[in-house]
Amino acid sequence: MSSIATPQAAARAAELRRRGRFRPGDAVLHGLTLAAALAAVALLGLIAWKVTDQARPAIHDFGLGFLTTKTWDPGTRQIFGAAAFLFGTAVTSLGALLIAGPLSIAIALFLTELAPRWLRGPIGALVEMLAAVPSVVVGLWGILVMGPFVADHFEPFLKRTLGFIPLFRGDPSIFGLLPAILVLTIMITPIVSSVSRELFLGVPRDLKEGALALGTTRWEMIRGVVFPYARSGIAAALILGLGRAVGEAIAVTQVIGGNVAIHWSLFQPGDTLASRIASQYQGASSAKQVSAIAYLAVILLCFSLVANIGAQVIVRRFAGRHPVAR
Amino acid sequence: MRKLTTLAAMIAAVAALGAATSTASTGRSSGTLKGAGSSFVAPLVAQWQANYKSSDIQYNPIGSGGGIAAITNRTVDFGASDAPLSSDQFKACKGCVQIPWALSATAIPYNIPGLNGRLHLNAGVLADIYLGKITNWNSGRIKALNRGLSLPDLKITPVYRSDNSGTSYNFTDYLANASAAWKSKVGVGVNANWPSGIGAPKSNGVAAAVGQTKGAVGYVDVAYTLKNHLSFAAIQNKSGKWALPGLRGIKSAAALITKVPASGELSIVNPPKAAKYKNAYPISTFTYVILPTKTSSATELRHFVFWALTNGQQYGPRLLFVPIPKVVLSYSEKTLNKVKS
Amino acid sequence: MTLKTPFRRRLVNLAMQAVAVVAAFAAVAVLAVMVISVAKRGAGAINLDFFTKLPHPFAFTPVPTGLANAFVGTAVIVGVATLMALPIGVLTAIYLNEFAPRRVAFLIALALDVLNGVPAIVVGIFVFALVVVGHGQSGLAGSFALAILMIPLIARATQETLALVPESTREASLALGVSRWRTTLSIVLPQTIGGIVTGTTLAVARVAGETAPLLFTSSLVGDQLHADPRQALASVPLKIFEYSESPDPADHRQAWAAALVLIAFILLASTVARLLAARSRRKLGITR
Repeated sequence: MSSIATPQAAARAAELRRRGRFRPGDAVLHGLTLAAALAAVALLGLIAWKVTDQARPAIHDFGLGFLTTKTWDPGTRQIFGAAAFLFGTAVTSLGALLIAGPLSIAIALFLTELAPRWLRGPIGALVEMLAAVPSVVVGLWGILVMGPFVADHFEPFLKRTLGFIPLFRGDPSIFGLLPAILVLTIMITPIVSSVSRELFLGVPRDLKEGALALGTTRWEMIRGVVFPYARSGIAAALILGLGRAVGEAIAVTQVIGGNVAIHWSLFQPGDTLASRIASQYQGASSAKQVSAIAYLAVILLCFSLVANIGAQVIVRRFAGRHPVAR
Repeated sequence: MRKLTTLAAMIAAVAALGAATSTASTGRSSGTLKGAGSSFVAPLVAQWQANYKSSDIQYNPIGSGGGIAAITNRTVDFGASDAPLSSDQFKACKGCVQIPWALSATAIPYNIPGLNGRLHLNAGVLADIYLGKITNWNSGRIKALNRGLSLPDLKITPVYRSDNSGTSYNFTDYLANASAAWKSKVGVGVNANWPSGIGAPKSNGVAAAVGQTKGAVGYVDVAYTLKNHLSFAAIQNKSGKWALPGLRGIKSAAALITKVPASGELSIVNPPKAAKYKNAYPISTFTYVILPTKTSSATELRHFVFWALTNGQQYGPRLLFVPIPKVVLSYSEKTLNKVKS
Repeated sequence: MTLKTPFRRRLVNLAMQAVAVVAAFAAVAVLAVMVISVAKRGAGAINLDFFTKLPHPFAFTPVPTGLANAFVGTAVIVGVATLMALPIGVLTAIYLNEFAPRRVAFLIALALDVLNGVPAIVVGIFVFALVVVGHGQSGLAGSFALAILMIPLIARATQETLALVPESTREASLALGVSRWRTTLSIVLPQTIGGIVTGTTLAVARVAGETAPLLFTSSLVGDQLHADPRQALASVPLKIFEYSESPDPADHRQAWAAALVLIAFILLASTVARLLAARSRRKLGITR
């Protein structure tokens, strides 16, 4: 060792010395934070376990046939099946995604590529504000304002113009699949558009400017550079939106009309998995009904797990950079 | 060493989280009786809340099914249901008694804008409306019962209870009693596989749905039709007369009860053809309070329910609840004594 | 000499841009219609009574009513939920960023993101089955359900801010002989306070309007005013839900008013969070 003890050498020496010593404070913090992290992860497992446990009698009684049984009879027969709600969930969520998907991407494009700089902030903030409206308020507005408008004006209009399609036949009603689709569209647009916006902002500038320099129009640049680059992220955003739509219980149950049926017309009432759980779980007065509803929750949980993990895997695998913030 | 700390941390974390929430949940405030259940009886219970001074009565009209579930889980002190408990539900409740404590009727409200008079219906037509067989108000069978009314070309939207409801029990009990088709296709229960229409939660929801949907028809405790200014139908009883869900009609139907069975279960739908029941409204029903036989709030509960059975009945007639007949009252008081701490 | 882009391509370009503009304004229009609906119908019912009086269902004579119990209830439930979620969220983030090996960090982060996507109604069933059955509803059960929704949000926000603290700060501290735990708590964490506050505020804004988790855990409430979380507490979103399905126009007016207050609160919280986020980003020297 040099006789001139430089500060760096001293520090390095101290570090080497310290390595061997046991620091109780470090272990405590490590243990504490690990406990917290494990608790958070354990919650996920606990939720899955507890809900499945409640559903066990129904899974045992009905098995997988539950997914194809159309009946839901909490009366004397006590036969339960999820088919009608799987149908309702599929129709309302996919319908909402069909509208909200392109709409959100268009909004994200507007905010990142097309709007003048001074407009981006305010419009962006307004779209974010849509996310601030809680689902129960959207539902309230849906029952009292949108429902009557849809029944008195929108559905008759669709019937007149597109009535040859079975989707738009039937009698207009303030409760039904169509109001549910509209409500879900409002709910998932903010998520999909904000994720898409992040994605589009992340497209490298030189790629975009290169394309423009080659003489493409703005739209061609978007179609040829931005979309391919952000393709997997957009897929993830759409899956996230779908997951959100499938899990929405409150706003849907307020406007959908609680009917157990599978039919073509969007004007008719129906029901979804989440909405049925919300409307019947508290009042389920037989053990069979409670476990049947828990079975619905298991299906819902499975779907949302698959959708979420799928979206995350896509983002992490194909995006290759820092995961997109929601 | 590392593995041990990890394991210990894991156990500690989950245990702490679990312990914190489960132990902290227990705790009652004394002097408050919590109840939940039937929305049918909620208007009368609201009067009792306002006029009973010995305890604070808290009541949540979540539907009869919810009331049965809540008292079974002991998340409340008393449950209220218009549907009697089945033997399975008695078993699940682990030592409960059901006590009839009020008497009223299920009205049939409808929304036909501009109708020049009161709608008249009978069981057969009602059953077929709810089975989806009659779909328009100007159908021949409805017209036959309503000569003198100009019924419009308007689609019928039957409204039913989407949650487990004692009112549904009463309504389906009536329909099954009067229509063999209904009995075989749908049956009796707090809920059913409703063949057509829209479902609304709780009595409030049904009243709202009927009020907001042109052409709708529903079934709900008569007090709700009054409060929300809905028109209700006159129903033909077995004696052939047109009955309304008023005090006279309900009282006449209740005359069916001469003896109360041990379970306390009473059904007074569709009284047979007889002079005694010529004014009977055929969709009348008793409604029950469900109490555990062993509970820490036994004294307060007994005091409250006794008051409700006696003094409390005076607040009923204004809401079209008829004071319960003496034979039922004596059964109820006797059963109430089974509630102990 | 410049070549002019063919007409068809320019037309398509213009059409697509028009579509995007229309979409953005459609979204803004819907938001405007909704918020104006709420404001128009709700503003009239907002007065002092609304915040101080209690509900009186089925009263024969008109009595001034309000939602005092719901406002107090929401404040208590959300407050307790924040107290439950904040430590777990922050500690989890510290573990993720400071201690976890790469593989473990990936799995835990994935688990948190999945937890974030669990439908709120399923969380409600879970807490009901775990805590309420046999013991009764309580504000604490409701808070627990909300806390489950808040933990992933707080954890992620904290973790992102922790990641922004330069590694050199930590190394310098360690090199000077400061222990790991001291470094984390006294040097790194203070720099992330802004991010934590932002994340927590956003989490509060998100759960203040949640109805489904409270539906089975804190819904059997009376019309009295109390703030004891060991009993079930009324809450604003549940009252809006209840009144939205009522036939009484007076109930609707109260629902609109409650919705207006709720939206205003959430907007305020979100705006404050964003301003804080921008400020802390500036402090840490991030340009985007």
